Amino acid sequence: MAAPLTLLLIVAVTIRAVLFRSSLAELIPERVEVVSPLNAWKRVVEGLALLDLGVSPYAGDVFHETPLIIYFFHFVIDYAEIVFMVMGCVFLLQFRKQKYALEAERYPLDCLELIRTPKEMYYIPLKVAMFYLLNPFTILSCVAKSTCGLNNAVIALFILCTVKGSSLMSAIFLALATYQSIYPLTLFAPALLYLLQRLYIPVNWQRSSFWLFTTQYTFMYLGSLCVMVCLSFFLLSSWDFLSSVYGFILSVPDLTPNIGLFWYFFAEMFEHFRLFFICVFQINVFFYTIPLSIKLKEHPIFLIFMQIAIISIFKSYPTVGDIALYMAFLPAWNHLYRFLRNIFLVSVVLLACSALFPVLWHLWIYAGSANSNFYYAITLLFNVAQILLVSDYFYAYLRREHHLTHGLYLKRKDGSEATLVLK
Amino acid sequence: IRFTLLFNHYCLLILAKAGQFFSSGHTNNWAVLVCTSRFWFNYRHVANTLSVYRSVKRLGIPDSHIVLMLADDMACNHRNPKPATVFSHKNMELNVYGDDVEVDYRGYEVTVENFLRVLTGRLPPSTPRSKRLLSDDHSNILIYLTGTSRWNGFLKFQDSEEISNVELADAFEQMWTKRRYNELLFIIDTCQGASMYERFYSPNLMALASSQVGEDSLSHQPDLAIGVHLMDRYTFYLLEFLEDIHPASTANMNDLFKVCPKSQCVSTPGHRTDLFLRDPGNVLITDFFGSVRKVEITMETINLTAPMVPVSELKTESQSYVDQLPVAEIIHQKPKQRDWHPPDGFILGLWTLILLVFFKTYGAKHLKHIF
Repeated sequence: MAAPLTLLLIVAVTIRAVLFRSSLAELIPERVEVVSPLNAWKRVVEGLALLDLGVSPYAGDVFHETPLIIYFFHFVIDYAEIVFMVMGCVFLLQFRKQKYALEAERYPLDCLELIRTPKEMYYIPLKVAMFYLLNPFTILSCVAKSTCGLNNAVIALFILCTVKGSSLMSAIFLALATYQSIYPLTLFAPALLYLLQRLYIPVNWQRSSFWLFTTQYTFMYLGSLCVMVCLSFFLLSSWDFLSSVYGFILSVPDLTPNIGLFWYFFAEMFEHFRLFFICVFQINVFFYTIPLSIKLKEHPIFLIFMQIAIISIFKSYPTVGDIALYMAFLPAWNHLYRFLRNIFLVSVVLLACSALFPVLWHLWIYAGSANSNFYYAITLLFNVAQILLVSDYFYAYLRREHHLTHGLYLKRKDGSEATLVLK
Repeated sequence: IRFTLLFNHYCLLILAKAGQFFSSGHTNNWAVLVCTSRFWFNYRHVANTLSVYRSVKRLGIPDSHIVLMLADDMACNHRNPKPATVFSHKNMELNVYGDDVEVDYRGYEVTVENFLRVLTGRLPPSTPRSKRLLSDDHSNILIYLTGTSRWNGFLKFQDSEEISNVELADAFEQMWTKRRYNELLFIIDTCQGASMYERFYSPNLMALASSQVGEDSLSHQPDLAIGVHLMDRYTFYLLEFLEDIHPASTANMNDLFKVCPKSQCVSTPGHRTDLFLRDPGNVLITDFFGSVRKVEITMETINLTAPMVPVSELKTESQSYVDQLPVAEIIHQKPKQRDWHPPDGFILGLWTLILLVFFKTYGAKHLKHIF
C-alpha cells in the first residue's frame, strides 16, 4: 500500500513541477475558472506587499483572505509552489483510515454482491488519492497557486479527524474551514451525526446523552471559531477582515465571471431586488442541510459528500478546485456503479463543458464574436451536469439501501418482477 | 504758430490713435463656437462652426481659449465620401476641418445644460480645463451659435431640446454679474435669428443675426459630390469677409454689419448694439475675432549685471552617473526585506493554542519527553 501511494505521489509532484516550470504557469493563474477573487494567488501577493508598505491589506477591494492566511504565507511566500504541492499530499493522509461500511449479516442473502468486499475496500484510498492528485482540475488549481488547495486540505483534515472519532480535532478543523469560507458550516450536521453514531448515541430528541454530546461539540466548534476570529483581530489590530472576507463572500460584490451561477444574475439585476436575491441564493446553499440530514441520518459520510458537492456548486465564487474536492470522493462509492443511471450523460457533459469554457471565454473577451450569454450557458450546463451527478449518486445510494433491506431482486406480492421508482 | 498748431494736431492724432489702441480694455480673448444640430443633412451647420473656428484660430486665438461644441461628427460620418474633411466651398476648395481641430464638446455632450454651464462657469469640479470658459472681467468673448429653429424665440439643440432667448439673456446676465466678460459679441446663424437677441439686457453685449423675425436663413450651395448643402449663406459671406482680415487690420464692426446684404443673403441680417458702451465704429474686428496682444514699445534699457555663479562644485564622488539613479537599486537588488512582522502577542497566542490542542489530543505523556 505504501509503494503505490509513494509512486502516485512522485508522479503527481512531477506533473506539478513540470507545469510550474513551463510557460503555462503564467497562463493558468489568469483563468477565471481556476481562480476567483477569494483565492487568487496574485491577490495574496498584493495583500502581503501592501502590508510591507504599511497599509492594511483589506483597504480596497484586493485581498479577501483571512488573517491566518496572511500569517501563514508571510513566511512561505517564496516557496509557494512547494507549499501547494504539500497541500495536495496532505489530502492523501485522509484516506489512510479505511472506512468500512457498518454492515451486519442481517441482510438477505442475495445482496451479497452488493456488499463490498474488504479487498475492494483496500484499494479505495489509493483510488481516492489518484482521483484527487491526478485530476486535471486539481493540477490546474495547484499550478495557479490558488488557496483553494489550502481550503481543500483543511476540509480533508476535518474529515479525517471526524472519521477517526476525535471530536475536539474535528471541531477545530471544522472551525478552521468555516473561518476560511463560511460554507463548511453546513458540514457541522454530518460531523455531529457521525460522531454520535460512533459513540452509539441514538439521535433521539428525548435522550440526554444526545443533547450532552451535541452541546459539547457545539461549544468546541463555536469556541474554536471565536478563538480564531479573535486571534485574527490581534494580527492586524482591526476588525476590517470581517467585512472584507465574510461580507465579501455573503454579499457578492465582485461579478467577475466564473463557473458559478451568481455573476450573471447579479450583473443584470436591478439594485432594488439585489438584497432579496442575495438572500435567496445564499439560503440555497444552507437549505439542503436539514432535509438531507433527516434522510441520511444513518449515513453521515455520504451526507458529507453531498454537502461538499452542494457547497461546491452553489457557493458564491466556485472554482474547479472545489469541484475536484468532491470528485475525489467518487471512488469511495464504486459499489453504486450498477445503480447509476446518467453516468454517460454526466461525464460527457462535464468533459464538453470543461473544453468549451476556455473556447467561449476567448470568443467572448478576445474575439468579440460571442457575448456573456454564451459563457453563461456553458456555466449553466456545467452546473446542471454536476447537480445531475450528485443527485444520481444520491439515487443510487438510496436504492442500494433499499435493496439491502428488501433484497436485490424485487418481487411484488404475486411474485412477478417489480421495478423501483424514485418518487 | 502754424507749425506748433500742426505739431499739436499731429500729437493729438497720435494720442487719439493711441487712445483708440488702448481703449477697449480687454486683455484676453475667448470664443465659444457651438453647432447644435446633428444628422448628415445638417452638414452645413458643422461647416459653419468650423469655418468660424478656422478664422478665429488664424487670427490668433489659441485652442486653449476656444470652446468648440459640435453636435455631430461630419468628418468621420459614414456618409461622408471624403472622410476626415469638412468642406465649406463646393468643388472642395477649402477644407475647414484641417489637421488640428480640437473639439471640446462632441456629440451628445452638446446640450443646453452644458452650454449654459460653460457660459456661467458652473461646471463640476472634475471638468477639464479644455471644457471650461475661464474668462475674467477683461475678456472679450465671441459666441457663435448655429442650428435650426423653426419658430420665434428659441434654438433647437440636437433635435430634442431647445434654448430660449430668455434663458440666453439670463445666462449673459449671470456672466455679467460674475464679471466673466468685458465685452461680448454674439453671432447667430439660424432662421429667425434676431429673435434670439431680443431679450438681452446686460451691458456690453453686441449681437448679430443672420435673419430677422419671420425670415428663414438659407443655405448657400450644395456640393454634388458630397450631396448636401455645405454652408449657410450668412456664414459663407462672413467667412469670405474674415478671410480678408489679418491680425493688424483695422476693419471695424460697421464693416461686419454690412456683410451679406439682402441681395446676397435673401434674408436680412440684423444687429443690436444698444447695450454696447463703445461706438461700433471704434470696435475692431480683431477685438473679438483675433487675439491681438498689446505690445508696448519702450526705449529704456535695463542693465542685467547680476553676477553669474561659476560652476565650481563638481561632483567629486566616485559614483558614476548611472549609479546615482534609483535604477541602481533595482539592478543590484538585494532580497526583499519583509517590513511587516506579525505582532508578538499573536504568535505567542497562536502557538500556545496549537501546543495545547496537540497535547490534549495526544495526551500529556509527551510533555515529559520535551522537558
